[in-house]
Amino acid sequence: MNTSTEPANTLDGDIAALKVLATDYNAGHRLIDKCTWPEGKRMAVNFTADFDAMLLRRLLNEPPMQLAKGEFGGRVGIWRLVELFDSHDVKATIFTPGRICELYPQGVKAASRSGHEIADHMWEHRVPKEPELERDHLRKARAAIEKLVGRRPVGTRSRHTRHLLLDEGYIYSSEDSPDHRPHYLCQPDGTRPLLNLPFHYVIDDAMFFSFAWLNSENAAQRMMDPEHVEEIWWAAFLQQYREGGYLNIVLHPFVSGRALRIAMLDRLIARMKALPGVWFPTCEQVARHLLIVHPAY
Amino acid sequence: MPWKDNYTISDEKSLTDTDVSWPDQRRCCFRVVVDLSPPSGPDGIKPADLATPDAYYGMHGGLDALCAVLKRYRIKATFAVPATIAEIYAGKIRALPDEGHEIAAHGFKHEDVSRLDRNEEQVRLVRTTEIITSVAGSRPAGWFSLPRQSDKFAGGAVSAATMDLLIDGGYAYFGNGLADDAPHYWVSDFPSRRAILALPYYYHFDDQFFLLFPRKGTGLENPNSLFRNWKAELDAQHMRGRHFSMVLHPYAIAWPNRLHLLEQFLDHAAHLPDLWNATSVECARHWTATFPAATHLKLEASIWRDYPGSLS
Repeated sequence: MNTSTEPANTLDGDIAALKVLATDYNAGHRLIDKCTWPEGKRMAVNFTADFDAMLLRRLLNEPPMQLAKGEFGGRVGIWRLVELFDSHDVKATIFTPGRICELYPQGVKAASRSGHEIADHMWEHRVPKEPELERDHLRKARAAIEKLVGRRPVGTRSRHTRHLLLDEGYIYSSEDSPDHRPHYLCQPDGTRPLLNLPFHYVIDDAMFFSFAWLNSENAAQRMMDPEHVEEIWWAAFLQQYREGGYLNIVLHPFVSGRALRIAMLDRLIARMKALPGVWFPTCEQVARHLLIVHPAY
Repeated sequence: MPWKDNYTISDEKSLTDTDVSWPDQRRCCFRVVVDLSPPSGPDGIKPADLATPDAYYGMHGGLDALCAVLKRYRIKATFAVPATIAEIYAGKIRALPDEGHEIAAHGFKHEDVSRLDRNEEQVRLVRTTEIITSVAGSRPAGWFSLPRQSDKFAGGAVSAATMDLLIDGGYAYFGNGLADDAPHYWVSDFPSRRAILALPYYYHFDDQFFLLFPRKGTGLENPNSLFRNWKAELDAQHMRGRHFSMVLHPYAIAWPNRLHLLEQFLDHAAHLPDLWNATSVECARHWTATFPAATHLKLEASIWRDYPGSLS
């Protein structure tokens, strides 16, 4: 027996296994190389708000003051964001956990009445591992939203299973950043595509303003001021504006609903609007447009 | 509000900007809170926490310098004082009300009360009230539970019993609420609508999270962010006609170069028309008289249903 080839074979096997995995994963992405926007529009900006208020804090069993911090989003933040968007004629997408419809029905209804999209953000801000319970949660969230605003959600910000989302009639997701361009997530052979409208964590208010976000340590906290973040976001917008691209701005009512940040967003939107051809639609509008103009196949 | 135990502390919707009003047609309430607790851990002030240069500076040179600035700008502040500090520095604490400042309680020793059982929390609360009353010369109307630099969350800690005990203890307000940026009611019991007024706090306006945070050695000194947060919030709240509050720690903010930052901010504030500088108790009295819970706390029964496989 030639023992010297065994480790080499093992290494080759490792490479082959990794290669299969990477190839499969990579093949599950179909990018839209260059988005074509509706007549007269140069770029699309989606303002999106994750309206979980205290729900995620409760899910993580955080202490009472953390819950109160989240409660700000329901009592105050959502109302200010809706008022801000309305004053600029911006149509936003509010990713709303089903349970929030029971905790803040007035706020969700007000957002919907103003023409903002109410989309799925899970039933209680988690995706159960058990397939039956996952389906149950997705359906509960849909039912809660539909009952409250009279229209079912067609988009989601979640890691719900793609097949399940497609089976349940969802037309897009808005999650994570495998590319800055809108793209399709699909099987390696290109089937079962779901449009994804990506966001980057740098264009996410909580990253800068929410203490201990994503379980970060105290030494990692930077209590940024609004001007600092405004410049980062403005630069990101301007770069995409030049390219005729896409930007998804992620807000949380309990974070961006604070008065100093509403003032910043007011300035930021005014600066964007001063340039010709910026489109401020809901995610659903972007999705319906792209599904027609740039279908998966 | 569709009430939900362990989720919500108040009603569904805040008072709108136009509904908020302040005495004498003033536009915006302006509150300064000074935390006299030295840096400590969740057990509260230990002997070793008092024998530090920071603790010394915070109650001597730092406190004197900060008080001089407040006096120069004619600012009345609320001093959040742990009972132990009130005992140790009785002379200094007693002098503060003569300058128009308010003395409020800040725990027995700024401990994390969520680690105590209800009985122990009550015993400490009663004793704290007695000590502050005897040192300050009048009963404290307010109770604070402010965060520390080393806390995992920057909101301060309360237990499930805290609000109930504060109401029993005759307190008029709780000093650091996070659910609103105007005063709001913290409901301790939904069926009886038992509630206490909570005054707003937000860590972005608290100096300790910007000045060598979270500790020496990091070099994480961000005075510009602190200044810009204060200014952006004050300007926005002034525009809305609502409320602004900031929290200061003498051991941190009173160091000369930092104190200059505060002076620049107070200069800015002094030029805003119709700002109402109130102590916390003045703010609380105005609020409970103008927007009493009986008419302004709008609680609705829960529409929540429990399901298997879901949070309850």
